[in-house]
Amino acid sequence: MIEVSHLVKSYRDLRAVDDLSFEVKTGEILGFLGPNGAGKTTTMRILTGVLPPTSGSAKICGFDVFEQPMEVKKRIGYLPETPPLYVDMTVRDYLRFVARLKGVPGKQQQDEVDRVAAATNCLEYIERVIDNLSKGQRQRVGISQALIGSPEVLILDEPTAGLDPAQQQEVRKLIKSLAGKHTIVLSTHILSEVTATCQKALIIARGKVVAYDELETLRAQHAGAMSADGTPGPLPSLEEIFLKLTA
Amino acid sequence: MKNALPIARKELNIYFATPVAYVMFTLFVVIASYFFLRLLAGYEQESMRYMQYNAPEMMNRLNFQDMIFRGLFGNLGVILIFIVPFLTMKLLAEEKRTRTIELLYSTPVTPLDIVLGKYLAGLVVLTCAISFTLLYPVLLQVLAKDTAGVEWRSLCMGYLGLFLIGAAYMAIGLFISSLTDNVAVAAIVTFFALLMLWIIGWSAAEFEGNARETVIYLTSVSHLDSFSRGVLDLKDLAYFISVVILGLFATHRAVEAHRWS
Repeated sequence: MIEVSHLVKSYRDLRAVDDLSFEVKTGEILGFLGPNGAGKTTTMRILTGVLPPTSGSAKICGFDVFEQPMEVKKRIGYLPETPPLYVDMTVRDYLRFVARLKGVPGKQQQDEVDRVAAATNCLEYIERVIDNLSKGQRQRVGISQALIGSPEVLILDEPTAGLDPAQQQEVRKLIKSLAGKHTIVLSTHILSEVTATCQKALIIARGKVVAYDELETLRAQHAGAMSADGTPGPLPSLEEIFLKLTA
Repeated sequence: MKNALPIARKELNIYFATPVAYVMFTLFVVIASYFFLRLLAGYEQESMRYMQYNAPEMMNRLNFQDMIFRGLFGNLGVILIFIVPFLTMKLLAEEKRTRTIELLYSTPVTPLDIVLGKYLAGLVVLTCAISFTLLYPVLLQVLAKDTAGVEWRSLCMGYLGLFLIGAAYMAIGLFISSLTDNVAVAAIVTFFALLMLWIIGWSAAEFEGNARETVIYLTSVSHLDSFSRGVLDLKDLAYFISVVILGLFATHRAVEAHRWS
């Protein structure tokens, strides 16, 4: 569903993304991890066609993001790091605007807006102007926006940022419920989030892949030394693996 | 191209959800009315004088188009220099500053849709503002019964000219808004550019020959006068249309280039 091979993005003297390759299968959730400035956001911008790559290629649903950007953009929902909200509009007007952009037919727009607003618990403040919403509410409007039109692929850049613990829980539940129907790439630096929602983790540091595997396999690989009687050592938490790899 | 319309709708939603459009309409109408009343007073004085001299042939030559609307359109063409920067400043600069442009880049929208949608919304607001001044000829037609009345065909030409000069200013403003992510900078630079296009004409007298022709041709307001007199001059039409096309083309390039920076 998502194939990335040898992706490179350079800004003048900085290599933000350096030879990144990975693959996400239909219905999978990939946890995209890395310290701040590792290149997570840049990679996601390339995947969504916002930024052109310097070299390498990325394909979504078989379409190259650079060669056939329109085909790709019809099939993705993207939540950028800062939710792209027009603060002067009401939530409803904003979501309708996104529905129009994504080509949802006129008659279904209203239903689609209600559906995504209900899924992210935005209905109670749907008539309010975005400027007057709290950070958590804005974040949820940002997620609803990505869900409009039920795109096959969801790219979520720190979806739980700015939410309180209860809301984080809700969003994680929501994301988990979307798995199977959607293919999801989710970036975060909250590691428990990956453990709670994802099957696979991709850890990058300084633009390079440092680990990329199923969560269970990662744990097993980084397990402590076997003790003398042959029982395997204690399985490390994702925190420990992350700190070890990105140090 | 079909995605230009949702973008235009969104921009109009924002214009009318914020005070921008209302403030602009109010100020534009206030200042236009001021000019109209002064020109009307001038017309009255003139017709009084001719009546005193008892010169009917002079009275016959007195008409609303030349005495009032030509001056009014000329003045409004200058007033637009002060107003258009506030309409165009946010169009692209704000999208870049708040990063909402990422939404447009990640949905099936082409840069052309973005440019045309935003331009269209600006034109709608401009047209609304201009059309408020239609009240003046209507008032004249209704109240000034003993005159020849308003020459509607010439008047339409004048409105076309006013619309075209506003459209040209808008294209320049939109382009400048695409170059920065600072709204205030966009407004100031646009204002300065439009002002230069107007006052460059003042120096025409210092040049000779081709240089002089060029300076006069570049001056935006000089192309409005033929329309204000009720004449369609292709040279002037070509000037406005070229500025619009050039402005939109440059904006399109700038929106494309922004992603590569």
